[in-house]
Amino acid sequence: MKNDLRTVFYRNLWKENPVIRQILGICSALAVTNRVDNSLVMGIGLMFVTAFSSLTLSALRNSIPDRIRMIVQTLVIAAYVIIVDILIKAGLPEISKALGPYVGLIITNCIIMGRAEAFARKNPPVISFFDGLFAGIGYTIILLCIALVREILGFGTVFGYNVNFLNFTNWTIMVVPPGAFFMIAILIWISSGAMDRRLRKKERS
Amino acid sequence: MKKGYIYTIIFIMAVSIVFSGLLAVVNAAFKNRIEINEKAAGQKSILYAMGFDSEGMDAVDFFEQNVVERKSGDVAYYAARTAEGSMVYAVPFAGSGLWGTIKGYIGIDGSFTRMIGIAFTEQNETPGLGGRIDEEWYKEQFRGISLEGDVSYGGDSGIDAITGATSTSNAVLNILNEFMSTTLKEVEAAGEE
Repeated sequence: MKNDLRTVFYRNLWKENPVIRQILGICSALAVTNRVDNSLVMGIGLMFVTAFSSLTLSALRNSIPDRIRMIVQTLVIAAYVIIVDILIKAGLPEISKALGPYVGLIITNCIIMGRAEAFARKNPPVISFFDGLFAGIGYTIILLCIALVREILGFGTVFGYNVNFLNFTNWTIMVVPPGAFFMIAILIWISSGAMDRRLRKKERS
Repeated sequence: MKKGYIYTIIFIMAVSIVFSGLLAVVNAAFKNRIEINEKAAGQKSILYAMGFDSEGMDAVDFFEQNVVERKSGDVAYYAARTAEGSMVYAVPFAGSGLWGTIKGYIGIDGSFTRMIGIAFTEQNETPGLGGRIDEEWYKEQFRGISLEGDVSYGGDSGIDAITGATSTSNAVLNILNEFMSTTLKEVEAAGEE
């Protein structure tokens, strides 16, 4: 398997996108996506944690004893999550209040440990760092897509600015988690459809 | 990779020490900043409950100059004088919402007959539904309502609930009515002595 920057980028953002292809990190994708700003901060937090935990774990990969590697992974991830939580509390107190417990819950996001197990354990640090970063970006982009639709339909706003020019009634269903289920399902449908079509084209030629 | 027990134990200890140390450093570096943020947020809430417009001024400065803390039994509440010269109080309240504890301050006028405002400092209600109790339109409805009798929905001084968040809206009214018949009476009685 080739592991240059381009393959890693393409794989994490589209072919094996954590949210819509691997169905990882769904909990937070349902919870924080009713507003674009919350999703953005959550995504940036996750990017930071996956990138640096992958970097650290990859740098240590030859010295981590196999039987305790998961303990070490959790420890490293937890440390970075706490750092992110402290930074958000210090710099963006309003957003910290809005995200509530979800920043701390980044630690339970399967994407991070997934990248640590699937990639950082076997690859050198620099490419692992980018693998983690791109996985975070893949997650963030999907979250922003979901949040954009949910915020426009549910609140009639984007980043808190009113965009409800048609004066439609806000859809409360888009504000509550079921709204995110619909959006994720639609995105999975679109991406699977596109993937299938490409596969069929390949078979024909 | 197969490694001996001793190595494993030393390794996990070393990793723990390094990362705990890192966290301790980051925590120490930002501790002050976070405390200042929290204090400022609390003071802004108190000013909001008292009906002061803290928009466009240094809320912390204003608070230090105008607001005094008072004690009544276990309850620490805040007092200030408005521009017109009348007294206002901000009394802390707490009660259970739908998911967790809702905390905040209720602003009361000097004669304990009207509520001046309400501010929430802590709530874990559903973001976008019950969490909307922190929005202006909801909080503004409580300005100037009479403290005679229970607060209820509808009517002249009545409150509107939040669509899709009936449980949280009910919880807030319950907390308020409970607060008026207990904490507020104590503070009022203590103030008269």
